[in-house]
Order: sequence, then structure tokens, then C-alpha cells
Amino acid sequence: MIQTVAVLGTFETDFKTHHPEHTFAEQAQIAAAGALHDAGMSPDDIDAIVFSLAPTHFMGVADADRWSIDYIFGAGKPMMRVHTGGATGGSAVQAAYNLVRSGLHRSVLIVGAERISETPDAQHVLNLIFDVFYERDMPLSTNTTVGLLATRYLHRYGFTQEDMARVVVRARGNAMRNPHAHLKGHITIDDVMASRVISYPLKLFDICPRSSGSAAMIIGNMEMAKRFRTRPAFINGVASQSTTYWIGDRLTPTSDADFVDFDIAAAAARECFRQAGITDPLKQIQATEFYDPYSVMTPIQLERLGFCGPGLAYRLEREGYWNTSGGAVAVNPSGGTLCTNPIAITGLVRAIDAANQVMGTAGSMQVPGVTNAVSTAVGGLMQFINCTVFGADAATH
Amino acid sequence: MNVYVLGLALHPPSPDERRFRLEELAYHTARAALDSAGVTRRQLDSLTLGACDELDGRPISSMLMSAPAGGYNVDEIKVTDSGATAMCLAYARFAAGDTDLGLVVSWCKSSKADVEAVMTSRAEPFFTRPIGIGGMVSDALFAQAVGGEFDIGPAEATRRVVAAYARAAGNPRGMAHSVPTAEDVDRSSMDATPLRAGHRAPLTDGAVALVLASERFVERNAGARPLARVAGIGWATDSYRLGAQRLRSMQSARTAWRDALRRAGVEDATVLDVIELESPTGYHEAAYVRALGIQREDVISPSGGAFAQNPLFCTGLVNAAEAVLQVAGQAGPVQRPLVRRAAAHGCHGFAQQGNVVMVFDTPGALQ
Repeated sequence: MIQTVAVLGTFETDFKTHHPEHTFAEQAQIAAAGALHDAGMSPDDIDAIVFSLAPTHFMGVADADRWSIDYIFGAGKPMMRVHTGGATGGSAVQAAYNLVRSGLHRSVLIVGAERISETPDAQHVLNLIFDVFYERDMPLSTNTTVGLLATRYLHRYGFTQEDMARVVVRARGNAMRNPHAHLKGHITIDDVMASRVISYPLKLFDICPRSSGSAAMIIGNMEMAKRFRTRPAFINGVASQSTTYWIGDRLTPTSDADFVDFDIAAAAARECFRQAGITDPLKQIQATEFYDPYSVMTPIQLERLGFCGPGLAYRLEREGYWNTSGGAVAVNPSGGTLCTNPIAITGLVRAIDAANQVMGTAGSMQVPGVTNAVSTAVGGLMQFINCTVFGADAATH
Repeated sequence: MNVYVLGLALHPPSPDERRFRLEELAYHTARAALDSAGVTRRQLDSLTLGACDELDGRPISSMLMSAPAGGYNVDEIKVTDSGATAMCLAYARFAAGDTDLGLVVSWCKSSKADVEAVMTSRAEPFFTRPIGIGGMVSDALFAQAVGGEFDIGPAEATRRVVAAYARAAGNPRGMAHSVPTAEDVDRSSMDATPLRAGHRAPLTDGAVALVLASERFVERNAGARPLARVAGIGWATDSYRLGAQRLRSMQSARTAWRDALRRAGVEDATVLDVIELESPTGYHEAAYVRALGIQREDVISPSGGAFAQNPLFCTGLVNAAEAVLQVAGQAGPVQRPLVRRAAAHGCHGFAQQGNVVMVFDTPGALQ
């Protein structure tokens, strides 16, 4: 029997470059225990576990999830690890949602940790995700690829690097109210423009940090929601989309999914919003938590998810449309991925921050009157995206 | 909501697949599964992958592999435990009503990976890795523990290995290894007490794909002819610690078995006509038979199991395909008579830390 799925508890640590005081497994335990405490649950109340863990090459233990199982009170329980690159955290929420919605389990713990700085330079690992024969030698990296994307986007819609910088200024400012954020501060457009160029037109401040930390979310069916949460957030829509690996194939006039247009985001949102009964996201959604590790990815997602038309997001940014206070919709009140990017769990953190807004537990980040919030996670150079809508009331799709 | 297997494909196993790159292996297998089901890629709305970055030799291997495996403009997700675990998640996605037609795909080119190095990299760096525990040693620790728990000796392990090779010899989807004698096995090198080289199933390269369909899809498509229904599924993971109690208890195997049978409405092994076990050694088969309460030897792994083909990461999902073929009456020379219900088992991790059990039955009223 199809089950309604609710968020029962969440937890995230503070995010920073290193966590030398804990092992990976201990980080996972801190998150699991934190979410259990938040939900008022004990380990016996958890039926199954989904572990959120992207490439283990960053930290060097290929079975880090299974190493953690005793620490997260999971020995003997059903557990699986989900890995879809940067989209992993959102995919983990999706997998857990499936386990509860299908009736297989009453409650599922979604947990993960990241210690990306165990590797001397994460870019060395990320450079290996590109095709050996055609694309790696160009040289494509995450930064150069998004640099090309940003150039194309700015040219197509007539925007400037200052427009990109404005997103960073808002994000860092929002993060001032997020006790867990890695980067935060009151900065200016000039500060962003003065940061060193990494890959034109991207400058250092246009790019996310490499963050370490851990996070967990517990979800359950209505029976568990009645027992453990007075005001849960309901997972009302979940959808993912994938496209081709080849960047070149997303740049041709005949491509199904243009690289800059990011059409798979629109497709995922359509399905997700259909499930959640969202017909006008700008009117019905009060807060977003986008996976935006680069300042160009915020406007693209706003446009593709239907918050505004193509090429309008930066213009509306100038007018304060996406501000937490006084804007039409609060875009990344946490500061988003531009301020905190623990890759293995970034999608999960986005989901947690969105769910907390609906549950009214976002603390100093809380946006008043949030009844619907959306989170996204993006992986594999915009090859994968997932989209999740949290609502104060359960949808009936 | 019922979930059905509409088609499947197994790549011909090889000790060292040189004709195809990894993505070609996945493509040809997914393509053959779609053809087997009589559906097209454009009809798919989901893809569930079971793959391992470390064995595939690249981070986020699904970036390269998802489209060849059918993941283009569809809802794609990947699990990294095993191919059989991907089947668990795929089943949940269908049972949740979120997909109508999807692929489950898994692969492994054991020949291209230094498997022992990968297994060593799976060890945590403080205690397990420094003492050199890898796949072989942890399998041997398991064999020692269950040998003590269930009184399993080398003679039984050897007997089971020879019998598995003999069954595998008749499987057209297997490697057709020559069948060793008991003396061959007993004279082979001692790899890690009590495991001799001959006790261990040789690794192979391979790939497997299953097309799953919702009840809704089957009802709306008159031409759809399911091979089997997924009657029940269960999985569990044990402690990471390789202590005697964890190894002897086989708790995750028992839990996965219990949950799968309960969901399938089956009381015990007596009503299963076929049980495809993932047994990387003869000791493992002997232990699983006892822990799961399997009384009849004639139902065990007619395909030959890992001794027919053993593409490490997806051997459990290969077992699922073999079980489905048995239920569909399409297992060829290894077909058992009148198979109405078949179970498949997969295991993964150090000393079989994780276990998956799947039960398939005939589609019933839909046929």
C-alpha cells in the first residue's frame, strides 16, 4: 500500500575544511545520533538506512559506509549506499522515500559524511570523471566546464560578471544566519570581482568551498509521523533526470538537452511539481535550497524550475526578487552550496535545510510562512539532477 | 503493487572480456534485455544501476555508464553495494508507484581491476588495513568461523565445489569450466586457511540487465508477457567487525532470507523449487544451506552459481536472472521441472557483510 512520507528529524554539523578531531565513522555517528535526538527516536525505531556517499576517492576508504554501520546503529539492518556524484544526497533522500512510500519500511535513516580534504587536491580526483579519450585532455575540469557554461549563459542573455557576483553577495549574507555554513560574510560585488580568476569568467568567490562535515535526516510513514513529530514536513514530490555524459553532445543545435538551458532540470521539476500539486512555483513555494556550487547555477535553476522566464533571474536578482527578506521567494536562505559544499551530502543538506523551513525549525534562517520548499541536487557536470518538494500538508498524488 | 520481470539479458561471461569496453558491455546487455522484453529505450522511465567506482576504475562511473545502460532522459539512480542491492531499490521504486518500466543493470570487469587492491582499499585505515585483510583473508575467516559453527570440514567444501562445477558445466550461460576432481581441489594451493585455491570460484567478467514493469504497465500493454513476478525481497548488512560472533551468526543472511520469504508469503525453503545461492567457496554454500534451513540439495543453484560465472560485483544479480529463467521455464539445459517459485541470493562486502534475497514466482493470473 502506498504510504505518505514525512520528515521526522534532521541534523547537520558545522561545516569546515577539516574535522581532524573525528574519524569518518565518528562523523557519521554524530549525524545519526543528532537526527535521532531531533526526532525523539531511539535506534530501534529505525527500520533501514540509506547511506549518502559520493566518490570515496576523496577520503580513501572504499567501504566507508560499511565501516560506519556499527557507529550509526545499523548493524543487522537493511542498508544501501547511494552514489550519483554531486546529486548523491538528493538521490539518497529519493531512495529512502521509495523505501517508505512502497511500504517496505516504516522509517529510514538517511546519513552521510564528507571529508574531502583528506585528498591534497580534490580537483585531481574530479579531473578523472571526464572521458579519457575525447574530453579529459582539452582540458575539461569542473571549473573549466562551468566557466564555458557561464560564458555562454552571460553572452546569450546579455549579463555581466557583476551579475554573477551579486548572487555570491546575497548567498554569503544569507549564510551569516546559518550557524553551520562554511563560508559567510558581508561582502561586496567589488570583493567578488577582486578575487582571483580561476577559470574565466569564474573567480574564486564564484565557486563553492570544499567542505567537510556530516548530516542526517529521518523519514517515516504516517504512523511514525504521528508518534514522533508534531509538525512534520511531508515529501510531496520527488523526481530525477539524467542526460548524456558528453558535454559536446549538449552543445549541438540538435541536442535533446542543451547544456546551458539545463533542460533536464525543467523535466525533473515538471514531474516533481506534478506530484506535489505545484502549478505556479513562484506563488506556491516560499523557499528554495538549490544545489548551486557556482554563481551561474542559481539563475539557471530559478529559470528552469519555473520561478521566472529564461534570462530573467539575474535581472530580478538586481531588484531583490530572491532576497530572504522582502523577495518573492527566499532563494537559499542557508547560503546554499556556494557557501557549503560537502559533496557526498550536499544534496542531503539542501533537503534538510528545505525541510526545516517547512517544519519551522530553521532557527535564525527561518523564513516566515513557508508551506512549500524545494531542494535540488546536481551531479556529474549537470548530467544528473533531482528535485524534492517538501510541504506542510501531505499531497495526494 | 505487483512488480514483474519483463525481460533480461546476461552478457556471455569471459575470464577477460577484450571485445568490448565497459560501456559497450553495459550497452549490449541493456539492449538485449530491452529486446527480450519487447520494449524500447524510449518507453523506459527509470534506471537503477548497481556499480562500483573502484572496480570500474573511475570516480562517479555512472557518468560514463548510465546512458549506455539506458539512462538517457530517464530517472536514474545508482547503488554501490552490489547488483542485487540495485534490484532491492528498483523493486522499492516500482512498489512505490513511481515508475512503470525500468531497467536494473549491473556489470563487472574483474579482469581490469586489481580486486585484492580494491578489497584492501575497503578496509578502514586504523586496524583492518594494517594487518592486510582483503577479500581472500576475510572469506577464509568466514570459512573458519562457519566451519566451527556448523561442523563444516574440507571434505564437504570440496564435495560442494565439485558438484557446483558439474552443474555449471551444463549451463550455456556459464564459463563451461572443466569439472575438477576432489583430488584436484584438495591438492590445490592453500591460499588462506582453510581455503584452497580450488575451493574458490574463479572471477569472471560479465554484465546483467533485467527489465522490470509495474502491474499498471502490464495491464495497459496487452503484448507484455512477464517472465516472473518479484514476490518478495529482503536485504541486510552486518557489523563491519570481523569478530567470531558476527561471522558465525550469519545474521544479515538470516534477516534478508526471513524478510524476503515473509514478503513473498512463503514460510520456509521447502516450497522453493530453486534457490540460486551466491557461494564464492564451498564453505559458503555449506554455511548458507544450514543458516537458511535449506533441506533439499536438489534445489541449490542449478546454474552452478559462481562456479558458472562470477563477475564479482553482479554475481547476485546474475543469480536473480537465473532464478527468473527457471520460473519462466527458459533455463535451457539446467532447467528444473515445474518451477513455480525460485529464490536468488547475493552477498557483498568483507566476509559477506551484506546479503540480499529475492523471491520470484510465476506471474499467475496474468499469464
